[in-house]
Amino acid sequence: MSSVVELDNLGFVHPGAELPALNGVSLAVEPGEAVVLLGPSGAGKTTLLAILDGRLQGWTGCAAVLGRRLVPDAPPPVAARPDTGFIFQEFALVERSSVLRNVLNGRLGRMSGVAAFFSRHSEHDLDVAHQVLTDCGIGELAHRRVDSLSGGQRQRVAIARCLAQEPRLILADEPVSNLDPARAGEILTLITSAAAKRGATTVFSSHQPELALRFASRVVGMTGGRVAFDHSVGNSSDEEIGALYQDAIKGAAGLRLVQ
Amino acid sequence: MTRHGGWGSFLTGIFLGAVVLWSFATSDMDLSRLLSAGPRIVEFVGRMIPPDPTVMAEIVDGTAETLRIAILGTVGAIILSVPLGFAASETMAPPAIHYSVRTLLALIRAIPLLLVAMLMVGAVGLGPMPGIIAVAFHATGMLGKFYAEAIDGVARAPVEALSSAGAGPLVRLRHAIWPQMAPVVARDTIFRFELNLRESLILGVVGAGGLGFYIQIYVRSFQYDKAASVTITVILLVIAIEVLNVALRRRFS
Repeated sequence: MSSVVELDNLGFVHPGAELPALNGVSLAVEPGEAVVLLGPSGAGKTTLLAILDGRLQGWTGCAAVLGRRLVPDAPPPVAARPDTGFIFQEFALVERSSVLRNVLNGRLGRMSGVAAFFSRHSEHDLDVAHQVLTDCGIGELAHRRVDSLSGGQRQRVAIARCLAQEPRLILADEPVSNLDPARAGEILTLITSAAAKRGATTVFSSHQPELALRFASRVVGMTGGRVAFDHSVGNSSDEEIGALYQDAIKGAAGLRLVQ
Repeated sequence: MTRHGGWGSFLTGIFLGAVVLWSFATSDMDLSRLLSAGPRIVEFVGRMIPPDPTVMAEIVDGTAETLRIAILGTVGAIILSVPLGFAASETMAPPAIHYSVRTLLALIRAIPLLLVAMLMVGAVGLGPMPGIIAVAFHATGMLGKFYAEAIDGVARAPVEALSSAGAGPLVRLRHAIWPQMAPVVARDTIFRFELNLRESLILGVVGAGGLGFYIQIYVRSFQYDKAASVTITVILLVIAIEVLNVALRRRFS
């Protein structure tokens, strides 16, 4: 089992929801790939990413990440969690702490509990932190408090924290949803080149197909909790991507008719 | 329909009027007594003037003791409130525990400080110790609740993010929860210290140490000029606390 992600017939229903968020999703991601999940809101992209990150329990089917089987009723062991890095859509930073402190938070899972509690970071931790800050182009912001930064700068801090974990799998939920095309291109360049430099695999979700396809090696279309198509970027067509969103529009129209 | 008057507000008006009439009719109010008290009030105030400055040593002692009661009472309240705050937190404790601890804190808040102080004087005798215990106990009712709210008020996303990065519960508490709640805890604790200081000024009236103790002694022994000196000190201290409070609020807002 050399795949980085291996999913077989994955299903998930949010508590209290009628329709499943994921319904029979099977997917294999190989090392070094950059996979983009495309699809309308409610397609199940965020749910899928949260399960891969080990943050969501109660799913059905089989799932393995980085050669380790996930269990549906308990989060993965803490020792395994730094290997999977997550770039949160709303950044999820500690606003009152400094940029450096937030980036060093990405190292906490790689330290003993006592050292982590007392912030006893090694030279290596500091080297990693400064390297990722430089890679993300925010080296000069290290000692600024996060609540004094702009949205774009915060996003770079969130990416830097993820990279500081030295993850082998980088997951990103809509990393460019609120950015203009130029900025979005910069951020996707940053994520994919940082991943390539570290030999990490990337899975990210997006609403912007034409942009995402420039940076991904593979595209997975999702709609209604299912995988609609899955192939290399070269083989994707505007029609099938258009159909993803068509289905969503039809679904919404159908819902309106029912109501 | 019930919003703009009608029977509801008419009955409320009748009820409130009845309550006031009942209070007035049954509390032995007699305006002539108040009017004839004029000369006695003049005499009383006259005996307070001029305040006797020879009690300076007692005032210094009493002020120091009041400060000690407020400081140690606050420290005691912090020590009690940290574990109780966690136990009363929705995000830290299961419902069965946080509901019962919240109820306990509400009960503690419901007991007046002077009552606690009187019980403590009865239990451990006169002096600052019953005052310290009473302040610590009483303040915990408020501080424990405030700490729980500070914990529950933090943004969850950064806590989730640290969990995703492999940090355990204590490390998350230290690096994601504490930095967010620290300023709230500091502000709440200072606010409670200010209240403790005000309350410590009069605790002595029931024998629990501090400046109030001297007021009580001098009033009971009809040394109104000395009582006046202590009272003026209390007023000056309350003003000083107010000034300090304004400065601190500016710092922590």
